[in-house]
Amino acid sequence: MLTDTIQKALAPLNLAKVAPGDYAKTGYHLEVAAAPAQLPALAQAMLNTGCFLESLTAVDVSPEAFTLVYHFANFKELCRTVVHASLPKGTEPPTLSQIYPGADWYEREVYDLFGIRFAGHPNLTRILLPEDADFHPLLKEFGAGDAGTGD
Amino acid sequence: MLEPGIEEKTFVLNLGPQHPSTHGVLRILLEMDGEYIAKADPVIGYGHRGHEHMAENRNYLQFLPNMGRVDYLHALAYNQCWCMAVEKLLGITVPERAEFIRVITNELNRITSHLLWFGAYLMDLGAFTPFLYCFDDREHILDLLDRVTGSRLTYCYYRFGGVPSDIDREFIDGCFAFIDRFRSRWKDYDNLVTKNVIFINRTKGVGIITPEMALKYGITGPNLRGSGIPYDIRKSEPYSAYPLFNFEIPIGENGDIFDRYVVRLAEMEQSLRIVEQALVKLPNGPIMAEKVPKRIKPPAGEVYQAVETARGEFGIYIVSQGEVKPYRVKLRVPSFATLSFFPEMAKDNLVADAVANLGSIDVVIPEIDR
Repeated sequence: MLTDTIQKALAPLNLAKVAPGDYAKTGYHLEVAAAPAQLPALAQAMLNTGCFLESLTAVDVSPEAFTLVYHFANFKELCRTVVHASLPKGTEPPTLSQIYPGADWYEREVYDLFGIRFAGHPNLTRILLPEDADFHPLLKEFGAGDAGTGD
Repeated sequence: MLEPGIEEKTFVLNLGPQHPSTHGVLRILLEMDGEYIAKADPVIGYGHRGHEHMAENRNYLQFLPNMGRVDYLHALAYNQCWCMAVEKLLGITVPERAEFIRVITNELNRITSHLLWFGAYLMDLGAFTPFLYCFDDREHILDLLDRVTGSRLTYCYYRFGGVPSDIDREFIDGCFAFIDRFRSRWKDYDNLVTKNVIFINRTKGVGIITPEMALKYGITGPNLRGSGIPYDIRKSEPYSAYPLFNFEIPIGENGDIFDRYVVRLAEMEQSLRIVEQALVKLPNGPIMAEKVPKRIKPPAGEVYQAVETARGEFGIYIVSQGEVKPYRVKLRVPSFATLSFFPEMAKDNLVADAVANLGSIDVVIPEIDR
């Protein structure tokens, strides 16, 4: 089972949490919590088990912190791993673009929309918004505009 | 390559489509060394509408029509993914007949997407005639889908818990007639394109995606399957009614443009097979789940739902905090990963091949920009 292989591969990294997920409810087979500094080693271990980086994003959870969210999946066997990493605002997580070149654009997107700077990224520039934009729209403080909720 | 002693000079070339009225605006800055590309830098975002931001400011139902506008060529797959993700959050089970209808319409939509790619791609390569054939065939599906969904492109046909309107006899007969008609066209397509020497020479051995690169960039869909990896969410992470039908996952060998072309063509036949089986086996019963709340307010939690679109894996990640609006929605779109591989694909190749490569990966720009 791939879940076991991944759990074994992640064991030496001393991660805060590596636990089976409730697939029917969340779509995850494995839930992992890590510190931002552990991410490159974690990504390397995931690559070694043949997993690809499905998605990389962030959530603005509170005025003090973001949560970085990484999804990994596998071409051969069904096993989705989610990695949550809590990131205090104002700090820089390490880039994964040297391990997964596909992370390059994802990290640019997270920088563009959240203002999170990835340390060691080769070309951390805006990707979706204009170069001269002076805001990061997915920050909760950016506000909502009034689309109306129908309530 | 220049002779030693002569100063090497590169120049920058803009590669379009860049006109604001085209359906997808993409700019690629090419640093050229003569006819060869030294560096390619795609510039995206011209069609950024902020769908993820909109999602945080609308309730779950209000965001549903947005889905048809992310990848407008396979809108129903996106529609379905959003419905499935919310159904998962709410714990709703969709009735079997509704799942069958979703599969039928979704696969018809997949064929329209592949047909449009087929026609537009060959036009990119300079062949005009196949485009007319494809649009002729595609028109028949658009009429069928128009009948059940009420629209011809930006479909919004599924609802949380099922579908809002049933399919009728005329739609079913129309589907069977289309299947017969489309199957009779394979011979023409093969003679016109697959066996065409010019086409073969332009596509064989060009624009190769290796399985290693696909893994590192997260490339999915026909672009991955052309490289020989049978990864298709419909099989590998079965959803809806797909496990009930027999179909194959066509794969290529070399990962070049020709293989991707063959995979897409073969996929259309597999979609026909699925539609055919679903129409024959179509069960009777309700098309909407019984207990769907009027006010959608899922419990706190997060969910990831993936579906197979015409371009690969589309995933929706929702974080709910128990409110009427989602707290965060991330749309994982397949073309984003594929296009991020393009610079590597184009490097040290001819500019003429760049056009062939770019078309062959079948990217939909508004989907990348979101």
